[in-house]
Amino acid sequence: MPILDADVRKQIESHFVRHPTKQAVVLPALHLVQQRLGHVPVEAVAEIAEILELSPAQVQDTLSFYGFFKQDKPVGKYRVWVCRSISCDARGSEELLQRLIERLGLQPGETTADGLVTLETAECLGACDYAPAILVNDILHEDMTVEKLDALMDTWK
Amino acid sequence: MSYQPVLLANIHKKDSHALAVYQAGGGYRALRQVLKEMSPKDVVELVKSSGLRGRGGAGFPTGMKWSFLPENHPGPIYFCVNADESEPGTFVNRVQMERDPHQVLEGIIISCYATRASTAYIYLRYEYPLCLRRMQSAIEECYAAGLLGKNILGSPFSLDVHIHRGAAAYVCGEETGLIESIEGRRAWPRIKPPFPAVEGLFRKPTVVNNIETMACVTQIAERGAAWFRSIGTPPEPNNPRDPGSFGPKLFGLSGHVNRPGCYEAPLGITLRQLVEEFGGGVWKGRRAKAAVLGGLSTGVVTAGEFDTPMDFSGPLRAGCLGLGTGCVVVFDETYSMVDFLHNSCRFFAHESCGQCTPCREGTHWALQMLNRIQAGRGRLKDLELLLEIGDSIGIMPGTTICGLADGAAWPIKTAVRKFRDEFEEYVARTNPEGYLDTTPVPGMGTPQSLYSIA
Amino acid sequence: MPTILIDNRELTIPAGQKLNAIEAARMLGIKIPHYCWHPGLSIVGSCRMCLVEIGSRDPKSGKITMQPKLMPACNTLATDNLVVVTDSEKVAHARAMVEEGLLLRHPVDCPICDKAGECKLQDYYFKYGQDERRADIRPFTSRRRDLGDVTLFVDRCVMCSRCVRFANEVSGTSELMITGRGAHEEINVVPGYPLNNKLSGNVVDLCPVGALGDKDFLYKQRVWFLESHPSVCTGCSTGCSIWIEENQDRIYRIKPRQNPFVNQWWICNDGRYDYPHVHDARRVTQPRGSTADWTTLPGQLREALQSAGRLAAVVSPFLSVEEAYLLCKLIRDIDKNAVLALGPVPTVGEDERFPKGFIISAEKCPNRRGVEAVLAYFSGQVTGFEELLSEIDLGQIQGAWVSGGYKADWIGLATAARFQRLKLLVVQDLFPSPLMEIATHALPGAAYAERPGSYVNRNDRLQTAAQAIRPPAGVRTEGSLLWELSCRKGLYSPGAVLTEVAREIGYFSAALGPVPETGVDLKANLLAQASPVQPNQA
Repeated sequence: MPILDADVRKQIESHFVRHPTKQAVVLPALHLVQQRLGHVPVEAVAEIAEILELSPAQVQDTLSFYGFFKQDKPVGKYRVWVCRSISCDARGSEELLQRLIERLGLQPGETTADGLVTLETAECLGACDYAPAILVNDILHEDMTVEKLDALMDTWK
Repeated sequence: MSYQPVLLANIHKKDSHALAVYQAGGGYRALRQVLKEMSPKDVVELVKSSGLRGRGGAGFPTGMKWSFLPENHPGPIYFCVNADESEPGTFVNRVQMERDPHQVLEGIIISCYATRASTAYIYLRYEYPLCLRRMQSAIEECYAAGLLGKNILGSPFSLDVHIHRGAAAYVCGEETGLIESIEGRRAWPRIKPPFPAVEGLFRKPTVVNNIETMACVTQIAERGAAWFRSIGTPPEPNNPRDPGSFGPKLFGLSGHVNRPGCYEAPLGITLRQLVEEFGGGVWKGRRAKAAVLGGLSTGVVTAGEFDTPMDFSGPLRAGCLGLGTGCVVVFDETYSMVDFLHNSCRFFAHESCGQCTPCREGTHWALQMLNRIQAGRGRLKDLELLLEIGDSIGIMPGTTICGLADGAAWPIKTAVRKFRDEFEEYVARTNPEGYLDTTPVPGMGTPQSLYSIA
Repeated sequence: MPTILIDNRELTIPAGQKLNAIEAARMLGIKIPHYCWHPGLSIVGSCRMCLVEIGSRDPKSGKITMQPKLMPACNTLATDNLVVVTDSEKVAHARAMVEEGLLLRHPVDCPICDKAGECKLQDYYFKYGQDERRADIRPFTSRRRDLGDVTLFVDRCVMCSRCVRFANEVSGTSELMITGRGAHEEINVVPGYPLNNKLSGNVVDLCPVGALGDKDFLYKQRVWFLESHPSVCTGCSTGCSIWIEENQDRIYRIKPRQNPFVNQWWICNDGRYDYPHVHDARRVTQPRGSTADWTTLPGQLREALQSAGRLAAVVSPFLSVEEAYLLCKLIRDIDKNAVLALGPVPTVGEDERFPKGFIISAEKCPNRRGVEAVLAYFSGQVTGFEELLSEIDLGQIQGAWVSGGYKADWIGLATAARFQRLKLLVVQDLFPSPLMEIATHALPGAAYAERPGSYVNRNDRLQTAAQAIRPPAGVRTEGSLLWELSCRKGLYSPGAVLTEVAREIGYFSAALGPVPETGVDLKANLLAQASPVQPNQA
């Protein structure tokens, strides 16, 4: 039973026209699978490789280079990226991170047992004007404080 | 300030990202004119004569970069737009793509016309989801309006633009790392030569330009090279290799200032003007201690160096790597430079692509030392070692393929040299027993989980 | 022709050669250390060990302008007026820094590392490293990982990426990858997709340090006890140049010997692991027949051949040119009407081709072309094995000399039975066979590593192999036995035989005179042949 359904495969193949090589579709394919499954398990790597006429190692090599893709298990419903680069650090991101670690009982990179939250640290989110900032899935939360963070966390259900 | 913003002129309009709003403000007028009246060569000459230098960090003259493309190449020629803005402290491209995507797109279309590129890839970092949505819809609007696709505006020129999403890797901002990443591999920058203009994406001639550079191209096409050259700093008369710093520049202000944000000013404005006039001064009534003036990799300046002009040569005189991205991070008097350098070393060790030995090992080693210093086990001789690493890694001494290691080196060099007293005081205070020690001490080591002998 | 200056010594690059600074410096005997560069792989320039100072010389004024940065010699093409400096303080510092970096997290477990003694990291550290270790990163990890065909010692790796590039570019199988980023990078395979291809053993040779271990060689022998002998692989008709590495007549490993005309830098696993048969306990090691005493046996054999009647010889495609010639000449001297036939030619499947041109031939013997040329010289044609069998069946043959040398069963009971009717049957072979059973004289043969001689590969290239080890007690090599039977004086001299062959047989005329290490092309006229391009060394 393949892990990638016909729909994802079709979406991956739809990228072929954009590039002269199939290997160039590796990143788009990984994004599609990460989005669909919440992670890119090794079985999916092999299937992507087959679709793109590559060896699994070529896909896995690329995947492992980038910090975005998860392999072991799916990310939580809320994937929280805490920026810890210089501007956010200067304005208190460490406190936010400690608060998250404390309240979630997680280390960065881990997911809560109920699959609700995945905690990640990010290198510069490019939101230095709103420092300290956190990115939750696709939403940027600006000028965070521990109080605002607490209120936000209360909405995660 | 009498300067009227041009690059940011649209951003406060309602729905500034929409095609209709952009066109109502005169958008795509320049493109129409270019397609109608100019040959690709004319556009290259126009950009050359404007003195535009790349806004991504290195400041390479854009028109000259384009002219490295082989003439009469049968094609395809590729155009890559670097929207992988990952330099810590830098966010101006985000503002542009979120608020005024069409100004960027117009520049891309004009630049592709000039370079005869038939496909453009916008390499967009994943951390910018709103940019993705805005750029994507802008591209769709352009296709619908005949501004992209086959025979743009009825001319023989055709162009496709695709967005390629990154996945959290700083080194993808290096132009050949970006190319490798689009090709679907790990973003290990390529050894040069061959340069991308000769053999780049998919082994074809390729140009890689930054988002802000694209917006500048739009304005040059709209307002002319003379207008562009009327802004900024002329070349230093006694330096024949200085092409000058012309045009407006976007400056990001963050850190300990009252009004962080993205501001537009002519190149050559001083750091102090930026911080005082735009940023509203240092927060909480404190004094400034230091600042990063062009993204983390350019290194730090002291409060005494705030009169440094923000153009392509000013930061060099202040001992920095360069203007970089022009994004300033200000630190107040309470902020520890040990923490600053620790943060910097952590970042570069995390982002080193791991290809070149000096960078892979040097950034890792520097981080291990900063870990130890921060934990109160620093020694004075560590400072010498840090400086030695800082002085010997990077593309400037020639020991690495790309400039990432220079970015790692400059914060080390500038922080330790300019704030030597603070580092020595910290080491002596936190490690009174061992700070003078010259024998090896156990390091922080690798996490226990990695320590397995099978 | 381009002239360049390396460490103030002038070098003229021979026309038509495209060399980088490492190769050019080598022509002057100047070594530029390097890890990631290999002439058979793409250039990545990432190890930074080959950094040198680069400049140019103005051809008119002779003025030298140096570039401020160091440049990797591997990616610097030796073009006219190039100036290279390899002995400056700046270069020395860069090398010491790279060595220091590579050893930051290296376990330095040389005492238990197979590579010790031939490790670039070790050698370069002694030559270019600094005395004192300044880093205090510990503890070290020393992990071992099974990659399939080879074993990876994860923490010894210097991330030169040679193995990964080999799997991508030469074997074309792409099983190997790098995982992670920065200091966390490691070589690995995807679970369930191990390194498994016919060229995989080459990654062990390519590895400049002790990271990749050959499972066959691991912990068997210290490399400084090994002696290397130039030889030719007899696994197939590609005829790869190899090194046979032995200690006290026991082979421990086979490595490729660089030959730009045949195998470049590679050999296949079939050839690499082809040596165990040499030390197989089942080998025939004592003669059996009317007498088992080598002092009297040659005389008896000669007498038996002279009195047998019409003779035949089966000339094995495993024999060297010299041995085939001696055998044919001996048999024809005794019986000028003797039938000379080519032994069975083992063929398996089809040729296997790899992306950069490496071929594993379907024909699993080293010298069919050489033997055929000898046979054609003596008989004017090549008689096949089947033809010979028919003649035996018709009773036209009374005595036969059968040479074997096959590494596996090559003759069945039924075929062997057809030799039954012969009055004299001399069989010299490696392993017992039904034919040996019925032989009047069963003689032990020597394995390829035990015999000197020349082979002609599928492209008519003649290469000469040295004797690497002595045969087991009781075994006389084919060449020396035939030499004695031919009543030639002194010890067996394959060189003298080859000279004779080259004089006598037109096909071999290019082999007259000393045969270079990379062999001679028999298709080319010797006089017209330009001096071969000096091979690059990895």
